[in-house]
Amino acid sequence: MLAKYLLRRVLATIPVVIGVTLITFMLMHVTAGSYIPGVDLNPNLKPEDVEAIKRYLGLDRPLYIQYITWLAGITHGDFGRSMIDGSLVSSHIFDRLPATLELTVTAILIGILISIPLGITGALRRGSKIDHALTAMSVGGFAIPAFWLGLLLILVFSVQFEAWGLPFLPSGGVITPGTGGGDLLDRLVHLIMPATVLSFVYLSIWSRFTRSSMLEVLSQDYVRTARAKGMSERRVVYLHALRNAVIPLVTLVGLELPALVSGALVVEVVFSWPGIGKLLYERALQTDYTTVLGITTFAALLVVGGNLLADVLYALLDPRIRYA
Amino acid sequence: MITPLPIDVPAVPSPAAPGQPARSYWQQATARLRRNRIGVASGVVLLFFVLVALTSPLLAAIFTHTDPRSIDLLNTFLPPLSPHHILGTDDLGRDELTRMFYGAQVSMGIGFLAVGVSLTIGAGVGLVAGYYGGLIDGLLMRFVDIILAVPAIFLFILMSILFKPNTITLALIIASVGWGSIARLVRGEVLSVRTRDFMVATSSLGASDLRLILRHLLPNVLHVLIVFGSLYLGQVVLIEAALDFLGLGISPATPSWGNMLTNSETFFFHSSWLVIWPGLTIFITVLAANLFGNAIRDAFDPRLR
Amino acid sequence: MAAPLLELHDLKTQFFTPEGVVKAVDGVSLELHAGETLGIVGESGSGKSVTALSVMRLQRPGKIVGGEVRFKGRDLTKLSEVEMREIRGQEIAMIFQDPMTSLNPVFRTGWQVGEPVRLHQGWDKTRALGVAVSMLNKVGIPAPEKRARDYPHQFSGGMRQRAMIAMGLTTTPKVLIADEPTTALDVTIQAQILDLLRQVNREFGTATILITHNLGVVAGMCERVMVMYAGRIVESGPTVDVFAHPKHPYTWSLLRSIPRLDEERHEPLKPIEGLPPDLINLPSGCAFHPRCSFKMERCSRDVPALTRVGDTQFAACWVTQSGVELKGA
Repeated sequence: MLAKYLLRRVLATIPVVIGVTLITFMLMHVTAGSYIPGVDLNPNLKPEDVEAIKRYLGLDRPLYIQYITWLAGITHGDFGRSMIDGSLVSSHIFDRLPATLELTVTAILIGILISIPLGITGALRRGSKIDHALTAMSVGGFAIPAFWLGLLLILVFSVQFEAWGLPFLPSGGVITPGTGGGDLLDRLVHLIMPATVLSFVYLSIWSRFTRSSMLEVLSQDYVRTARAKGMSERRVVYLHALRNAVIPLVTLVGLELPALVSGALVVEVVFSWPGIGKLLYERALQTDYTTVLGITTFAALLVVGGNLLADVLYALLDPRIRYA
Repeated sequence: MITPLPIDVPAVPSPAAPGQPARSYWQQATARLRRNRIGVASGVVLLFFVLVALTSPLLAAIFTHTDPRSIDLLNTFLPPLSPHHILGTDDLGRDELTRMFYGAQVSMGIGFLAVGVSLTIGAGVGLVAGYYGGLIDGLLMRFVDIILAVPAIFLFILMSILFKPNTITLALIIASVGWGSIARLVRGEVLSVRTRDFMVATSSLGASDLRLILRHLLPNVLHVLIVFGSLYLGQVVLIEAALDFLGLGISPATPSWGNMLTNSETFFFHSSWLVIWPGLTIFITVLAANLFGNAIRDAFDPRLR
Repeated sequence: MAAPLLELHDLKTQFFTPEGVVKAVDGVSLELHAGETLGIVGESGSGKSVTALSVMRLQRPGKIVGGEVRFKGRDLTKLSEVEMREIRGQEIAMIFQDPMTSLNPVFRTGWQVGEPVRLHQGWDKTRALGVAVSMLNKVGIPAPEKRARDYPHQFSGGMRQRAMIAMGLTTTPKVLIADEPTTALDVTIQAQILDLLRQVNREFGTATILITHNLGVVAGMCERVMVMYAGRIVESGPTVDVFAHPKHPYTWSLLRSIPRLDEERHEPLKPIEGLPPDLINLPSGCAFHPRCSFKMERCSRDVPALTRVGDTQFAACWVTQSGVELKGA
């Protein structure tokens, strides 16, 4: 039953994958077309040599063949080459992906770990001052521009703290240059501000969502049944109710999984965090279309995969889907 | 053994509260909205920013007597409350307050335009897909899936370097992704409304497809559009500001709240107030849009609180 | 006769709403003896469910503002929450109307059925599951070992209700309160569930309170019946007697309003005139008087108390207490 459900989901993603790769391919063709890196810089190249290079790179083949080659390359993890320096997009991705994941996964974890208790508190103490304060913070947090928040944090915790002689947080980068990255505390100190900024939006949405999900679950008949069985309120809330209330939250978190790679772009730029987002930004400024498109394709495929993963998680958690 | 009879004790539904005239759905919603003080306040704030956007040259003429582009290299980084410069000047000696006035034009202009375009296209696609179902629905929704699979910000950056956008094209770029979520939302609403009895009744009277869609379906999904639209406005303002901040939005010559913050780290040490004003305005605008959106949603369906 | 197992004395439960105070239960007294089956009948809003919930102290957000609930001599309204939890699910069990929404969708049925004995008697998972399976078997669920591993949504409506009944019985409670147990089920299944409840009552000796708005259900199942209206008991007595000669105009009108197969077809139906009362603004005197075809002058002034009318019945009615027979076209 689970297998059939998953198979259906996987099959549904195939047209999307085709669509995405087709679009990025066409955009690449339109922007970079038969552009060959380095050709303009070399005055000694004769037209025949350029043609030879073109044939070598397969740029003279009909369009649909080029698309198939592109698609085939993707299945091997080849996302093209930069049109500026010919470097492999995939090696760039490989280099920068860990940094991005470090950031986004931490942000999501912070989001989950804090949202759930906040949401439960809001639900259990509905209408109280705490509840109103939490709601206000959520609404506020959702309206703050991430880059501004980042700038403010840097302003306070890096610049001002240093000016006041307090221990201060570094304003950017993954590690302090020259330390080689082995010091965990150093990494943590660099991670904390960008991860906090990134988790802000998650916190705002998820804590409110947990609250309303919890409120809805607490009004359900089976919660009344649980109480009628004579169990403690704690057991009612944290076992019977919570288990149901987090299911929709998982879907919501799952929706963020696809954005794992792209969602941190602005934060990466503000904090000079060497991730994929910053990479795309840098390359975009150089009008390196092929790299930008290669990264975009990669990210889009991750989105598709992430959605699938979220569906799997949901199916695992909700027996009604599994045994439908 | 007596077979139990399935006869229920009659329970009559309670009558409407006496003395109150029946009101239409929209009238009730508007009344509820007006009673919501936060909603009204945030609506007023939004209106304020729209007015600022519409009258920025006038405001500049009255309050600051400069225009947003006049560079004065002798008076860079003046602090707030300097003579002639209430909010100070930036790295090129341009008056902050004037640039803030004009910045409203960009945010509000792009915001409303992008929302308007997204809603129109999204609603159109959603209505058609939901109404016709079958292959059309399948194709349209696959297309939406594809659009939504590509990370928005990557797409915006890409299109930005391709097209070097002005206000209008930037709004269109943002709308090119936004319509997708709306289409899905509208389609969902349509699917739930389509099977209702009044739809079957109307079509059995011989109403054409277009008439059914426009006159009967659309009004029922309108409330979804309005709520989403006002919440989406905040998102657009945030996205646009972020793009400007990255230098990949509106051209840096045109002042916008986002690009007033570009590269602002360079003057953190001495002029940190320059970081505060633009960001604060963005925050307030988005907050107002969100609160207003919430108020509208509560006005249409108070059960969802 | 032995002392009653459960006694309610003048119980009053109220809900405080922005529109006013809703007197959901307005002075209810009743007695339940060990092994008895008692039916509580009334329309929606009559207070029958709230009465049951008040016994279990699950009436939140309502408040018990007066009266006593004596179970085995102890006043349940005075117990601490911790003490009350020992009663719930163990001594007094309650099952609810809609088994689909009353069972937790994310836990396996056997686990849920076995939960009360794990909680109250400290049994481990295996032993509890064993009892759950045997109880599922007892309530007539085929292949109970396999079914115990299923989730609630995999059961049919009737099976779910059987599972709920099993869940209420694992701890062999003294009292079982069934709140509209058959309302959400098909007619044929209703009959089966009622059979089951009767069987359970016989085999386990559990005193059963059956709450319903369906007179037919009561007729087939309960030895005694109480009729509630506007938060008060208006009539009580042995089911046979109450149905044969009701002593309250409300009961009388209810029985009359049921269409009969042996009546002439052209006879018009006889519904009860008027609307159920607003529980925030109850009518003065007898709450039923605005709709009563027998009312006297006194009925709009004084609230009638539940008094003996006839050998076995009690009614809260000035009219019948003064000896008038209820008759009509």
